Amino acid sequence: MNGVLIAFALVLLLPLFIATWRASLLGLSLQGFLMSWIAFHRGVEWSAAAILELVDLVLVRGIGAPVVLWLVMRQQGVRHGRPLISSNLLSWGMALALVLIAFRVADKLVPTDGEAQTWVAVSTSGLLLGLLVLATQTDAFSQMEGALRVENAIALFDLSDEPHSPVGVRLAQSLLLVATMALFRWYLVHLSREADAPAAPEAPPL
Amino acid sequence: MTSGVVPFLTSSAGPANRARLPRPAAPSALFLFAALQAGAAIAAAVALEDNASLAWGLLRADPTARLFVVLIDVIFLGIAAYVWNRARAEPALEQVVREFARMSTAFMVAANIVVLANHLMVGWIALEVTTLCAAPLIVRRGVPASRRASWRYFLFSSVGLGLVLVGFGCLARSVELSGQVPTFFIDDLSTLVNGPPTPWQRIGLALVFIGYGTKLGLAPLYSWLPETYDEAPPAVTALLAAVQFNCALVCLIRVLQIYRAGNPELVANELLVIGLASMAVSTVSVIATRNFKRLIAYASINHAGVIAIGLAIGKSASYGVLLYVVSNAFIKAILFLTAGKIKAHYGTKDTREIAGLIKDLPFSGVFLMVGTFALLGFPPFGSFVGELIILSGLVRAHQILVFVLFCGLISMTFVAMGRTVFPMIWAQPKRAVSWPRQTLLGALPKLAFLVALVVMGVYMPSAVTRVFRAVAASLGGE
Repeated sequence: MNGVLIAFALVLLLPLFIATWRASLLGLSLQGFLMSWIAFHRGVEWSAAAILELVDLVLVRGIGAPVVLWLVMRQQGVRHGRPLISSNLLSWGMALALVLIAFRVADKLVPTDGEAQTWVAVSTSGLLLGLLVLATQTDAFSQMEGALRVENAIALFDLSDEPHSPVGVRLAQSLLLVATMALFRWYLVHLSREADAPAAPEAPPL
Repeated sequence: MTSGVVPFLTSSAGPANRARLPRPAAPSALFLFAALQAGAAIAAAVALEDNASLAWGLLRADPTARLFVVLIDVIFLGIAAYVWNRARAEPALEQVVREFARMSTAFMVAANIVVLANHLMVGWIALEVTTLCAAPLIVRRGVPASRRASWRYFLFSSVGLGLVLVGFGCLARSVELSGQVPTFFIDDLSTLVNGPPTPWQRIGLALVFIGYGTKLGLAPLYSWLPETYDEAPPAVTALLAAVQFNCALVCLIRVLQIYRAGNPELVANELLVIGLASMAVSTVSVIATRNFKRLIAYASINHAGVIAIGLAIGKSASYGVLLYVVSNAFIKAILFLTAGKIKAHYGTKDTREIAGLIKDLPFSGVFLMVGTFALLGFPPFGSFVGELIILSGLVRAHQILVFVLFCGLISMTFVAMGRTVFPMIWAQPKRAVSWPRQTLLGALPKLAFLVALVVMGVYMPSAVTRVFRAVAASLGGE
């Protein structure tokens, strides 16, 4: 499992250095599929909650979320650009420093070397890099990408343990992610449309 | 119910006006739903036996749930009455009201589940549902800034609640490492958590506090709040400030009830720092702003800071915190609904453009005046008693430095608020006085909230005091 976790860490890092929105969506999709692989091979008992978790990882995180954002970006005719962090040495250095901090934190929380420690380190890296994207970007697409990275980091952390919640709660979590994606799409479509449109008359407030 | 009460209350409109009144279905249905919900909440709070378990143990009617279910449902009834009145006065709002009715109904169902939840994840999911319902309501047609505010609200909420989820994961890990089977059921967790805090538990609690603190508008992740409260329609701002705020607070209180039962000092310093930082940030912003909706929004951040400090102290301050929380729910509802009326009348939110409210819009002027006094912690309102108890709690806990900083920041906020708001109310009007019709029904919800505020400051019925004391005891109150 260590190899897959290292691959996950690379998928987290590489899109930060390749400054295109297609690379960042591909990274998101790969995160979903790598987590699906981990969920399938982690050797827990196949309960309804575990199956639901796998379906969520493949369909929502691996395919649904990146495809929804890709369709909107293509519809809007965005050809290139939209880097996740500024393309300069300072930003890249900060990203690498956050990964190092994540590994130090994991070292403190899980003192024995091994898979459990790598798991915590990679999840924490995902969380911190997602927060870095959120803190440094102002356009909606990059912020959505940052929020989805945070969501994926949480999902990866959850995978390190048996599911503790009833299946209904797990289902509700997946539905929430679907609803969140629908709202992300709504914002992405309207925020850019409103930025280009002439001012409309203000409706009376409720 | 509406058909019986409403004609009596609107009789001041006169027969000619009444004939012209539209009869939209959505606002009446919303009001009916809110009235039934508030009635059911009060009946359940009175009739259900203590700690009654519902929905396979996922929900529970403990004193905290009873208090907050009644609070949020009564406030929503007031908001629904306000919306009903706005829909009557402004037929162009029909479509907006229909959407508000649909989304706010779903919002309230989820809000009630948050308060009643006996499972940390169920409470978290329901709080996320309230966010999903509220985000589209913040958007106003023709105002692009409102959609950007809505996006920021949704983004901050998603990240905040994401941090809470990571925190829950860490807390579950700490239970697992102590050799027990993790669970998110609150009543089971209370028996599992014992012994000194582990690193996993400390990180988990820190993340949960930062996450829920984001929803409460506490520093450091507070910047969404002024923008959202400013841009959202008044009814939605009241919904966020007086209902959703209390839902997030209940989630935070649940975690404190579990983890501080055997260790009352746990995370006290963190809460004190977050509370003081929030108060400092809000004081600076209150001094700088000239927008009256933002002014009230910054004051809300101040309140959240005071609540965090009260929760940090616990013990004797717990009762004061609850009094302060309930009072502030009513104050914020009064002030944001009044702010909507003022903005609609003057067409501006700039405090320098508004003067002589007491002559121009008498009801709104009185509500802004009384609401501001309550906001600043004047007697005879519940917020005064609450603040006094929290201050005495600080002295008893020997937190003299915090006491001094608290008093200093509150005094500066008081002066800055007074300097901005009082000329709006009493200064000479800057334009010819017009008297828009203000019906009793329009003022009734705010009047009812005002009565509740005074009652809490002057005389609390013993049954209500018992509930307050039970919740305070669960927070370590004496």
